[in-house]
Amino acid sequence: MANAQPQQINLAELDLSQLSDVRRQLEDELTHLTNSFTQLKQAQAKFKACIENVAEVRPQNKDKVILVPLTNSLYVPGKLCDLENVIVDVGTGYYVKKSRAEAVKHYQAKVDFIQSNAENLQEMVQKKQDNMSYLVNVMQMKLQEQSAASAKTSK
Amino acid sequence: MSTGEVEKQERNARGIPKAPFISNVDEYLGADPDAESALKDLQAVLAKYRYMDGNLTTRRRSLEEKIPDIKKTLTMVEFLQERREGKSKAGEDGDDLDDEDDLGDEVSKKPLKTTFELNDTLYAEAELEDTDTVFLWLGANVMLSYKIPAAISLLRSKLSAADASLQNVISDLEFLREQITVMEVNIARVYNWDVKTRREKREAAEASSGKKEIQA
Repeated sequence: MANAQPQQINLAELDLSQLSDVRRQLEDELTHLTNSFTQLKQAQAKFKACIENVAEVRPQNKDKVILVPLTNSLYVPGKLCDLENVIVDVGTGYYVKKSRAEAVKHYQAKVDFIQSNAENLQEMVQKKQDNMSYLVNVMQMKLQEQSAASAKTSK
Repeated sequence: MSTGEVEKQERNARGIPKAPFISNVDEYLGADPDAESALKDLQAVLAKYRYMDGNLTTRRRSLEEKIPDIKKTLTMVEFLQERREGKSKAGEDGDDLDDEDDLGDEVSKKPLKTTFELNDTLYAEAELEDTDTVFLWLGANVMLSYKIPAAISLLRSKLSAADASLQNVISDLEFLREQITVMEVNIARVYNWDVKTRREKREAAEASSGKKEIQA
């Protein structure tokens, strides 16, 4: 069934079983989009956390003893030695040493990028929800017509 | 009745009961064959086996995740110890090292610089102090400090315990697979026997009613 935009197909022409198929399809798409949206939000929260972490690496913390994680469960006491630069994973196996300000800018750019994607996604979700409610209306109308018609024929 | 028999059967090393194979369905069902309740019992036992199977699979997966982690931690602690031993040996026989003078019992200070993980995509540089104490995260919000030799022996015992449990879990899983298959075969046999018996009864009833009609 070709239904890129349900309003272009005249929903009133479809019968009830086809309408329920369209509805199931819309629900699947809606679930998928909502999941993607949640994932985007999670990624955005992670990058925001990175910005805060960069803020921790500041000159006031020099010479303070910290517990340095060497593995998941092993920590060794140590001191921060480089307080102006941090290393950022920019993807595809590249790690770049950036100054703190540059790192903050980098993460902020990522956060903004995800924000715009999330907004796009939200619009799409809204449109699908509108389609869905329109579809449900049409289905209810059809149901009423059907029950009215069967009541007439039975009389 | 039949579940009682199952429980009285042998169990494997860790208390999983062995599933009895029903070779003769008539004998198994006894004098008053009630296939329905027998099927229900068998299916209940099968459900228990399947539940155990799910549990063990989850345990195995978590063990398989933990073991490489413990290995990594152990390697790191051993490395730290070697470094310390290496340094103290250098201090003993390196009388002509210039920078070996005033640092108490700490010898030529070559602190270890490392990048550590602040966050998923963020790393920072730090200098490791030369200490004989490491901190191990034991889980459940518990972290303890250990001297390096104690840490090494603790990690080694954890690793061997985890390995042993993993072997146990894997052999349990295999045993369970067999038992599940046996139970499924039993259920199929009882069901087929039931179908056959019903058909025979029905045919016998039809034959005898047919005879009555002929007689009458």
